[in-house]
Parts: sequence; structure tokens; C-alpha cells
Amino acid sequence: MALELEYDRSLYGKEHEAGPFEVTEDMIISFNQSISQSGACYNDRDAAVKAGYRGIIAPPTLCTLFVRRVQLPDINLKFGKTRFHGGQRVQAKTPIVAGDSISASSHLKDVYAKTGRSGTMVFIVWETTFKNQLGEVVADVQESYAARE
Amino acid sequence: MINDGQIYFEDVELGDEIGPLEKVASDEGVIDFCTLWGNPVPNRFTSEEEAAKANLPGPIVPGVMSMSLMAQLITDWAGPDGLKDLDVVFRQPVPHNKPLIITGTINDTRQEDGENIVQCDVLMTGTAGERYIIGTAVVSLPSRS
Repeated sequence: MALELEYDRSLYGKEHEAGPFEVTEDMIISFNQSISQSGACYNDRDAAVKAGYRGIIAPPTLCTLFVRRVQLPDINLKFGKTRFHGGQRVQAKTPIVAGDSISASSHLKDVYAKTGRSGTMVFIVWETTFKNQLGEVVADVQESYAARE
Repeated sequence: MINDGQIYFEDVELGDEIGPLEKVASDEGVIDFCTLWGNPVPNRFTSEEEAAKANLPGPIVPGVMSMSLMAQLITDWAGPDGLKDLDVVFRQPVPHNKPLIITGTINDTRQEDGENIVQCDVLMTGTAGERYIIGTAVVSLPSRS
């Protein structure tokens, strides 16, 4: 029998916004240093411009730094004692370039249960769309949080 | 953008391996990442004490940072514009200061909406075979023609 999940369904369709966040060269280079990303287009403006970009570009996952700056409400899920970050998805649309100003808009995408060998878990999926100052979508990011009994 | 050493759609076949790429998330790297992320330190990602409070065996690498390490496998291989979609599941806590082996295996190639699409299974493992992260990447490659 399917598990009847109890949570605040009125959150569907509501957008939660944050930003804009200024993406500087220093921010991109610090991000690169923390993950040992030495690619030329991510670190050297001349190389990036030569490759056809407006400036140094950010690795495609940089926008994940901003996801938790969106204030998200509690969905009041009546399930589980522990929660953890279960998964993440980044759909990159166009590169973020140093100097860009990025805005975020998040919504509740899905809540679903899955039963496996270790029991039932409930996944809460939030989706955030990031746009630059030109109105272009730079990335969609989905974060899944798992609640376990 | 076409880069020096660019791999092309015609160069790849089903079953081809990508990598391995070996990375290490150092204590310093995790602290720097958390600072950029806006997650004040010490926290469960940087401190033994905070990790113990969260019932973790030790400080772990944040999922968003681990994912960024995995993305490098694809951007190193396909170029900065290649990665279209990276979808991962965090299976086990990722430790600091240990070799993290990142690999990919091509499981589909297709042309879709005018793009040359390569789909891969991606995996981050430890040297003793720990499967830390599994996932799928969708990559767009240029054509030689």
C-alpha cells in the first residue's frame, strides 16, 4: 500500500527568491582553488576571452553555492527522525561569467517515498532556477533531502 | 567553444571510459569552500567535534563540493561548455584528505535537437572500493563535420 505522506502541499507553485549575487573574478578563483580546478578558462581572463567568453567563466557547479541563500519554508513533513542531503542535480544552460549578477528562484518540485532494503525514505526535492542580469537561465539545480525513519 | 585537445562526438563509443580523475579534498580546501558557501566554520564539514555531534565518523566533504569535484571529470574531458546535466546521489560520507577516484562510462550516444549527446554513468570511489557518489552526466560534444 502506498504511503500517505503528510506535508504542506500548499507550497507547490510558490516561488522563493533571493539575490542578486555578484559573481566576481575573486569568487571564481577562490572556488577553483578550493576544488583544485586549474583550467585556463576558469582562471585566466586572456585565455577565456581568447576562447570566446566575456571573461573568466565559473565551473558549472558554482551556482550551487547560492542555493541555500534562498530562505525555504519547512514543509512540515510528518515522517522520519533524520534528514540528510540525498542528491543533487545541476542542469547547466549557459556559463556564468565573472561580473555576472545571478538571481535565484526556488520552488518545491516533488515529495515522494521510496522503499528499499534499508526501509522507507521520503525525498523532498527543491528546484532552483538561476538567471543572469540578461535574463538568461544559467542553470537549474535540484536538491534532494532524504528523511529516514 | 572548441578547445585545444577537444574530443569530438565521432571519437567516442559506447562503453568508453572517462578518467580516472584523482582528487583529494584537503582540510584547507573544505574550509575555503565552506567560507565561500556562507557556512560558518567550525561546522560538521570542518570540525571533529561538530561532526561527532552529527553522528558522523569525522568531518566530511560537503555534497556540493563533492559534486564540483565530479564535474571536473567531465569538463576536463569535454571542455568547459560540455557538461549539460549532472545528477548525483550521495551514497556515503566523503572523507577529507583521502584519494577520491572519479570515473565515467559512456552508456549512450545520440543526436537530439541538433546536439551530439553523450550520456555517462559517473562514480566517485575510494581506494578500498567505497562507492561514495553515483550519478549520470549528459554531455554535448562538437562534431568533426
